[in-house]
Amino acid sequence: MTEYLNALSAELSAVGIRGSRRRRILAEAEDHLRESGDEARFGQPKVIAARFADELATNGARRTALFSLFALAPAGIGYALLFGLNRSGPDITSAKTPPLGVAAALVIALAPQISLAAGLLAIALAWRLRATPVAPAAAISLLHRRAAVALGAGAATLSGIAVYAVEYSRGLPDWWTTLAFAVIATAIVPVAVAAVALGSTARLRAQAEGPAGDVFDDLGPLLDRLPVRLRGRPWRFCLLVAAAVAVAAFVGGGLDEGPRNAVAEFGAICACFAVLGRFLGLRG
Amino acid sequence: MRAETLKGHLDFLLLAILADEPAHGYRIIEELKRRSAGAFDLPEGTVYPALHRLEQSGLLASSWASGSGRRRRVYRLTARGRRALVGARADWRGFTRAVEAVVA
Repeated sequence: MTEYLNALSAELSAVGIRGSRRRRILAEAEDHLRESGDEARFGQPKVIAARFADELATNGARRTALFSLFALAPAGIGYALLFGLNRSGPDITSAKTPPLGVAAALVIALAPQISLAAGLLAIALAWRLRATPVAPAAAISLLHRRAAVALGAGAATLSGIAVYAVEYSRGLPDWWTTLAFAVIATAIVPVAVAAVALGSTARLRAQAEGPAGDVFDDLGPLLDRLPVRLRGRPWRFCLLVAAAVAVAAFVGGGLDEGPRNAVAEFGAICACFAVLGRFLGLRG
Repeated sequence: MRAETLKGHLDFLLLAILADEPAHGYRIIEELKRRSAGAFDLPEGTVYPALHRLEQSGLLASSWASGSGRRRRVYRLTARGRRALVGARADWRGFTRAVEAVVA
């Protein structure tokens, strides 16, 4: 039995199951084998370990995706608060180090949208997999990627706000700078905790075969109701989303800033789709 | 019965077994075999991943218990697990009635 348990321990490590979870599995296996005395009926260590990895990875990925979105909520609320309270920002060229200031301003404009889009995609995939005990490894990996991009872009937003607050401190009210650092200090903690949880879940090496699916599988019932056929046409989907956001930006910006904002949003969405589309399972 | 056929119903069967009383893994597997008159005879180790997953999902809870001179992990149904079992039973009865009506 010792030999069997050692083999099971090694296989569990190989699929990324370590620490207290592995100790518990080994204790349960030992108890079972003492009762039955039949290692063959228990199953091959490699098969058992793979099964654990598949089942725990599916569940873990779903939970981590949900947790990631909740973890980003304070950052989202803080962002809305900061830029809602101070709509007229400083002159973009007035930064202490202009290239750094402009870069921070761009990050602040783009990263939250990427974070929101990736987070919503992660939730859509988690919802699609909600009743699946063992999801394909490819789908689990896609879920991890979407959650990682959401968290990464969230962290980039918070970093961007910090740089922006320092670079434009001369043109920003003191209360705004104080509030910005309070938001960053509060929001970075849940994002960091979620990133650690995601790293821990992503260590599990699921092996179940099957396709990951794409955004059309995730949002199929919703997209299929639209009069335009989008399934299998990712760029058409991208253009539709970009156009809808551009219209919203145009309306929100008014006659002065609306046209410029609409063009910028349209271009940014298409560019992000080109760069991240494949990675986030938006196009094949 | 083939393990693949059983796989889709394993969660339901495990919840049903634990509805009567808490049990440890070996006991659950023995009960599965006994109640199915040996028809549900799958590699025993594959039941544990399902138990861990059901616990992660909040349908089961578990704790160490000492008995017969050793520590065993005992699983029990949670309130959420009990609700899931009620739903699964209703679905299953509806399904079997429909299948029976077609094939009889």
